[in-house]
Amino acid sequence: MRTLEPEVYLPTDNPIQQLGRRVMFVLRGAGHALLMLGEAILFIRCMFGKRSRDQIVHQMYVGGVKSLGVITVVALFTGMILALQTGLELRRFGLQANIGTAVTVVMLREMGPFMTALIIAASVGSAIAAQLGTMNVSEEIAALEIMSINPVKFLVMPRLVALMVMMPLLTVYTNLVGIFGGAIVGTTQLEVSMTAYFDNAQLFAQNKDLYVGLFKAWIFGIVITTVSCHQGLITKEGAVGVGQATRRTVIISFLTILILGYIVTRLFYQL
Amino acid sequence: MIRFEQVSKRFGATAVLDEVSYEIKAGEIFIIVGLSGAGKSVSLKHMVRLLTPDEGRIFVGDDVVSEAGGRKLEEIRARFGYLFQGGALLQWLTTGENVALPLREHTNLKDDEIRKICLEKLRLVKMEDAYDKYPDEISGGMRKRASLARAIVRQPEVVLYDEPTSGLDPLTSRTIDDLIKETRDELGVTSIVVTHDLHSALSIGDRIAMLHKGKIVELADPAGFIQSDHPVVRQFLESQYITRRGSWEASLRL
Repeated sequence: MRTLEPEVYLPTDNPIQQLGRRVMFVLRGAGHALLMLGEAILFIRCMFGKRSRDQIVHQMYVGGVKSLGVITVVALFTGMILALQTGLELRRFGLQANIGTAVTVVMLREMGPFMTALIIAASVGSAIAAQLGTMNVSEEIAALEIMSINPVKFLVMPRLVALMVMMPLLTVYTNLVGIFGGAIVGTTQLEVSMTAYFDNAQLFAQNKDLYVGLFKAWIFGIVITTVSCHQGLITKEGAVGVGQATRRTVIISFLTILILGYIVTRLFYQL
Repeated sequence: MIRFEQVSKRFGATAVLDEVSYEIKAGEIFIIVGLSGAGKSVSLKHMVRLLTPDEGRIFVGDDVVSEAGGRKLEEIRARFGYLFQGGALLQWLTTGENVALPLREHTNLKDDEIRKICLEKLRLVKMEDAYDKYPDEISGGMRKRASLARAIVRQPEVVLYDEPTSGLDPLTSRTIDDLIKETRDELGVTSIVVTHDLHSALSIGDRIAMLHKGKIVELADPAGFIQSDHPVVRQFLESQYITRRGSWEASLRL
């Protein structure tokens, strides 16, 4: 059950009290977000109901298909930049034939999921926060509560399922486009033929690189939905609050993606 | 029907409700008036536990809503319809889909049965032509009427109206007043209306309560309310040109 209880604190000039409140505020926010995520996961069992199914498909379209344009451009240039930077260095040692491996491994392990997550956090995550935030300040969420419609089941669960499915798929697409971008640079600027590029790309890239990358993308999808929905659902203070929720969503998502990206890499790739 | 027992609520240092006690009878139109920030909407939100009192208890029938949670709270809330200030219709659903939402979520009725019920409710609020329109395609008054249709679609025992006429022109406001009365007369629901509009309050209310600084300073039927000697009530009445005779003579004199 959500309520509209405002968090009211008596003013204080004591810096230690202010710091304590800030820490408590962050911890309480993280706790609420995780509880909301847990609740949404429990509601996944209802995902095959007609209304939920329609919502999930719609969210997959909004969150996935409509992002393909920007993802294509970003992925293509990411692959091209990677190929150019590594290729120029490798050419000094006459090893430019290895850019296929360099681009493929970096895309599969890091840049694919990472770039996809950043784009989705900035476009889809911020849009989710703004939409739910606006619904909150215009009392639509309270209206759902009064109608005994759980906002987490109705709004959060479909978005969670949609991004859990779409993030790995989008990452596969980013990887493919990025690797292709590298191939373009390889053939046009580094005198590496397409065949040599792709032969080399398959030489050292492992299935593990792909799976770990997709696992990261899946985790990032959960992070983006959790942060954006939570920020939307706690929005207060009208249009200003919606703007702040959107901004916080992008910042928190970026930081969490970076930190979790490192942790997952550390877990799967020991020194 | 609904009973506030020594209910207090503070937001920081401000006491929004201060040991408030009153009872709303089944079937009546109970009006809560007061200045902005007097705690009117806060009172409504307590009735469905969107807010929880710091002290005191709120009864809905024999149930204590202020302590209810989970399934019990859902059962209590199912007895309420709530008309929010801005209508609170979901923007991505049509008017008809908005009205149908509670039925789709809580019943196993077929689509054509749901459509029939929704059209009937929309007809009650004179909105049947707007079934397929989105909320941003209809006026503010129509949004409130559609919201009323949604509030009554599950045949609640109590309908809560949060400033139903705010931001509307006088003619539309009177239409909404008539609807509140008709809804009560036809469906027998208990109606609780929060408003600033005393003309509306006096014309439709069975009893009127005035909240001021967290306290009920007057609670009477319309005839008794305009005779109140409480200085804040008198000031409130006179600010809307209402004299002890309930007329607008004061404004004409000016």
